[in-house]
Amino acid sequence: MPPIAVLLSQAFSGFAFGTLLALMSSGLTIIFGTLGFVNFAHGAMFMIGAYAAFVVLTYTHSYIAALAAGAAVLLIVAVVLERGLLRFYYTRPPEDQLLVTFGLSVMLIEGIRYFFGSDSEGVSPPAWGDGIVNFWGIFYYPLYRVEVIGIAAAFLLALYLLLYHTSVGLMVRAGIEDRLMVGLLGIDVRKMFLLVFAVGAMAAGVAGVIFAPLSAVIPDMGTPFLIQAFVVVVIGGLGSFGGAIVGGILVGELLSLTTAFNPDYSQASIYLVMTLVLVLRPRGLFGAVGRV
Amino acid sequence: MNRSFNSGKSVAVTRRGILKTGLGLGAAGLLTPLTAPHVWAKTYPTMGTFPEGIKGSTVFAAGLFPITGPYASLGNDEKLGFELAIEHLNNGSQVTEAVPSLKKGGGVLGKKVISGIADSQTHSNPAVQGATRFIDSNNAMVMTGAISSAIAVALEELGQRKKVIYMGDVTASNATTGKNCQRFGFRLMPDNYMLCQALAPVLAKALGHNLKAAYLVPDYTFGTSLYTSLTNAFAKYGWTSATEQLAPLGTTDFTSYLLNIANSGANVMFNETVGADEVTSTKQAVQFGIMKKMKFVIPLLSPFIYKSMGPEVLGGMYGTMPWYWGMQEKFPLAKSFVADFHKKFNYIPRFCAAQCYNNMILWADAAERAGTFYPPEVIKALESGYKVDTIAGPVWFRAEDHQGVSPVPVVQGKTASEIHGDADNYKLVEIVSGETIMEPLKDTGCHMPSTAAA
Amino acid sequence: MSGGVVARRGSRWLPEIIVALLLIVIPFGFVAAFSAVDLLSRILIWGLFGIGFDLLFGYSGLLSFGQAAFFGTGGFVTAFLLTTHILDNVWLGMFAGVVAASLFSLLVGYLALRRIGLYFAMITLAFAQLSYFIENSPLAKWTGGENGLPGVPPPTIQIGSFVFSFDGGWHLYTLIAALFFAGYVLARFIVRSPVGAVLTGIRQNADRTAALGHSVPGYKLSVFALAAGYAGLAGVLLGIFQSYMPPGAFSVDTSGQLVFQTVIGGVGTLLGPTVGAAVWLFLRDELQQIPGVGSLWMFILGAIFVVLVTTLRKGLYGTVVARWQSRVATAPAPQRASRPRAAIRSHPGTPQPTPPAAAGAAATPALEAKSVSKHFGGVRAVSDVSLTVPAGEIYAVIGPNGAGKTTFLRLLSGEMSPSRGNILLRGHDITGHSVTAINRAGIAKSYQINQLFNDLTGRQNLRIAALGRHRGTLRFDVFRSADSIPAVEESIAGLIDELGLAASADLPVATLPYGEKRRIELGLALATLPSVLLLDEPLAGLSPGERQEVIRLIRRLAEGRTIVLVEHDMDAVFALAARIMVMHQGRPLAEGTPADIRQHPEVRRAYLGGVKAYAHA
Repeated sequence: MPPIAVLLSQAFSGFAFGTLLALMSSGLTIIFGTLGFVNFAHGAMFMIGAYAAFVVLTYTHSYIAALAAGAAVLLIVAVVLERGLLRFYYTRPPEDQLLVTFGLSVMLIEGIRYFFGSDSEGVSPPAWGDGIVNFWGIFYYPLYRVEVIGIAAAFLLALYLLLYHTSVGLMVRAGIEDRLMVGLLGIDVRKMFLLVFAVGAMAAGVAGVIFAPLSAVIPDMGTPFLIQAFVVVVIGGLGSFGGAIVGGILVGELLSLTTAFNPDYSQASIYLVMTLVLVLRPRGLFGAVGRV
Repeated sequence: MNRSFNSGKSVAVTRRGILKTGLGLGAAGLLTPLTAPHVWAKTYPTMGTFPEGIKGSTVFAAGLFPITGPYASLGNDEKLGFELAIEHLNNGSQVTEAVPSLKKGGGVLGKKVISGIADSQTHSNPAVQGATRFIDSNNAMVMTGAISSAIAVALEELGQRKKVIYMGDVTASNATTGKNCQRFGFRLMPDNYMLCQALAPVLAKALGHNLKAAYLVPDYTFGTSLYTSLTNAFAKYGWTSATEQLAPLGTTDFTSYLLNIANSGANVMFNETVGADEVTSTKQAVQFGIMKKMKFVIPLLSPFIYKSMGPEVLGGMYGTMPWYWGMQEKFPLAKSFVADFHKKFNYIPRFCAAQCYNNMILWADAAERAGTFYPPEVIKALESGYKVDTIAGPVWFRAEDHQGVSPVPVVQGKTASEIHGDADNYKLVEIVSGETIMEPLKDTGCHMPSTAAA
Repeated sequence: MSGGVVARRGSRWLPEIIVALLLIVIPFGFVAAFSAVDLLSRILIWGLFGIGFDLLFGYSGLLSFGQAAFFGTGGFVTAFLLTTHILDNVWLGMFAGVVAASLFSLLVGYLALRRIGLYFAMITLAFAQLSYFIENSPLAKWTGGENGLPGVPPPTIQIGSFVFSFDGGWHLYTLIAALFFAGYVLARFIVRSPVGAVLTGIRQNADRTAALGHSVPGYKLSVFALAAGYAGLAGVLLGIFQSYMPPGAFSVDTSGQLVFQTVIGGVGTLLGPTVGAAVWLFLRDELQQIPGVGSLWMFILGAIFVVLVTTLRKGLYGTVVARWQSRVATAPAPQRASRPRAAIRSHPGTPQPTPPAAAGAAATPALEAKSVSKHFGGVRAVSDVSLTVPAGEIYAVIGPNGAGKTTFLRLLSGEMSPSRGNILLRGHDITGHSVTAINRAGIAKSYQINQLFNDLTGRQNLRIAALGRHRGTLRFDVFRSADSIPAVEESIAGLIDELGLAASADLPVATLPYGEKRRIELGLALATLPSVLLLDEPLAGLSPGERQEVIRLIRRLAEGRTIVLVEHDMDAVFALAARIMVMHQGRPLAEGTPADIRQHPEVRRAYLGGVKAYAHA
């Protein structure tokens, strides 16, 4: 049994990582729910967010500016991709959409590599994130990571409010429930799809910005995140916002806590849980009945 | 397993090779010894790409570097070193001037060196794929390039099987010339054992004796090899291991390892991770306040690590690397290499470039001294213990395990105020002579296969 | 006459012959100049990997992003067994690798195939990633971890004292080419066999395929294991080819590259992945050599992929094949020759299919529902509905929209299980049985909204339906052609006559007018030879003339068969049905003969005369 201080810190780490994963996965899940496709380029979008943070923090040292830049860059990327390419895919089978976003993710990753190179870029946490919090002498924990939980939670809350307390959100959710109905309700589906795709992409980008100071920034950093986000939505239920949050935190904690016991099996543990969910509740913890 | 290389064909093949050089039909066998006595004095059997690969006026060298993937910048460094070496071999330079056998210039054994480069993508499979292609299609006589021990091991195995000499460049695992050693594989770069032996006295002098050290070890061959080498080297100074934290491949969160290290009561932390993991774990170590609790050491400094970490982390820190451009203070050839390199590519070469460059020079010198490209003869020349004056000082290969004996620089990171220019990252503390830090042969675990073994 | 048969036989094997010739000729041809045996071998290894993947994705519609798991498993099991000398017979080691890959796929498939579409892609990717981690960390001792396993030996053939070793170069090429060819021929057999027809059905409409009596999960798992076998063999060959098994075999990149290559070449073509592999490997090698472009080679391949997916979804090879086929199709089609002789055809107007069980004992009703209910959360779609239909009767269910008729029919057909209550077929309880099992037991349904296999011809549609009845739910008769079962072809021909589809039977159903699609929809149900036929609004969307035809048809079908009919056309219902049940808000409102129903006051008020009644009020 690892010491309690380690377990508590790990639990904290898991939570911080989990909220980020939740933010990332919620973007994936609302895009799926509304547009009906799995965005394979989501990991690349996360990575682009981290690069935006790297560039902005290197030149301005302003964290707020980095967050804004991350969101803005992804907004542009999302609009360009959606208007330029993906909108032609709405009438095509889901496999095609998956394939094209897969191709786009390769292009985004390699494009970034071309401009930034493959070196690991370092991003420092903001000055107000510098320091260590001492939790009653039992364990201590880096301040920025504590703040990460708050920042990611704030964005999740914003997303929640957008989805559940605005008329736009109502339409989006109606779209998740029944894509045909939205059209029947006379909502401009084109605009809504663009909006949702952009919001989903921005969620990934913001998660990337927040994550940048915790890790090396490299072009390939998004891929493991993407796969973990897949695990999250399989566990939580694809298309479910609540499922993304619960699944995200669950996966974050699993990865983190198992590391304290046997790191070799840490990665395997999340797939094991995914397997269990698939056996016991194939549609995911919060998945709607009838969704594939 | 029953591979055998048919030596019965030797005469015929050699003849055909001669015929194709266009010397004429029946007289070929008689004429050639007269026209090019040192090349054709002996008839060697077919082996690997020999003599197919030297039929023409050129000889092909293959470079397998990561052009994409997380180590692409190191791969680019290697690639530029490779290109410069070939240019120098063909056109001459101060470096080749200094090597007696290469003084005459104009390629190797009178053949212009041409080359091909393939992207290893930091994985052994594409590396083997690229190398096989160069061997089969271009009759490559030599190959170089690695970025990990996995690639090096795969390529030297390929070299052994295909009978093509592999000059391993960026690979530090002891196993490359230990457990996995191959007759056709050479590794010039100082291995983990040597680097740690070089670092230990300097660090012990700076930090003190009888310290407790904590290790963050990436859980694969390189990491465990480095860990063994470090504990071994520092045992002499009474250092003990407080904890060894093994982090598996793909770790993104080092919290538990760092906490265990923070709580281990260690005085020193060795961070053995490389590449992106090195940046991530160091960043997290800073955030967990490890630097304030204990001395932080990255024993093996990656080429571009300073740029990612900055002087806040690396300023004043001791470490080693296989070669540093600051060695030009001691070695004039290094100076000329750095100057040529900078002139051509407009940046300062790192150790990947230097290793790759040096490997090509050493191979060319061995072929010249052997008087043939026939691999067993070139291997014999490389194994002869002949010292070559190079950009890394005088170097030679140990015959028994093919480990290069090469000086090792111990460096100290510069603080922000000491930096002048982009690549001016470290102060040269000491250059340790290679001979003094070699791993005893009996410990290497190398059972050198014969040239015929597959 | 016989010459024509021979020619057709020949053209049937033409692809195999061409592939075999290419495999033999290419090495001697222009490629030899570049001594690219290495490139060629690699292309074939990826091509073999791709044939399996194409069966899975191209033919069965299952997009797996985790084929690396089986590629790696096959390669590493073989490499481990051979390098540790647990096995010294290389052939045995190779076989073990393929078997291991397939076995592993059964486990993964059991889990992943619970979900379809995008979920399936994500789950397979996740499992591949899991295998990568397991291979790299916990199993590192056996797999060499990130170093992989060097020294995989080549197989040898020994005849007496003569030993031939497949050790690299052209020797190994012959082995790889032979295995590739064998893999291709096997895949061709599968594609043309009844199994291939069912797999195509699964891709186009899995639910309908299941409703036509085919075990969709069984076929999916089988094709998944088969694809894994191909992947395993390709992995084994990679290890032998390089004499080194790389850990990257397990990585996401491997699965991604396979998808890339397959889509670039063309899905559903078997050879497309090989063409894709050739393009990929060639461009990869060549682009790297171009100064300034080198590091962008992945980007360029990514862009090519995106452009191809967007504009040329059939892929490079697939487009060529499609063009060629359409040219052949516009030429006089020889297909009709394969139809059975006219003499076997039934007389028009006679109910051709005979129910497998004759009408049965008069005492046992053909179909019974006992207090059946279906709830969705709080919504009661069907509530406490009972019915008893004697054999040979036409029974109609009517009611306003949303009355629960369609849901009730879905309960009877087994597409849904009732929340409460029982359903009996000829006295046997079939409650909770799968739609496939219920179809096999003798119930078939024709859907309100056409559920056809749109890319196939009417004949092929009917064949998928008829095959279930003649072959059982799951069978691997891969060495006969799907159109070679006389009983199936006879029944299809009969149906085509019966339904008046002779002129359009060999056109893709997507191109047919609605009325003909509707008849094929009915034909799909009939082709399974049901004793109980459920018809969900068979007249919906038909012209008055077509309605009369279909009404006549239903009447004919009712001879020796039980029919449950849901329909809005009251004239038709009253003309056809022996008894009628009226449903309202999920409950039965009334039941009786047409005369009873006409007189029923509540029915008049709630439904039939409802509008009038309100108008008068």
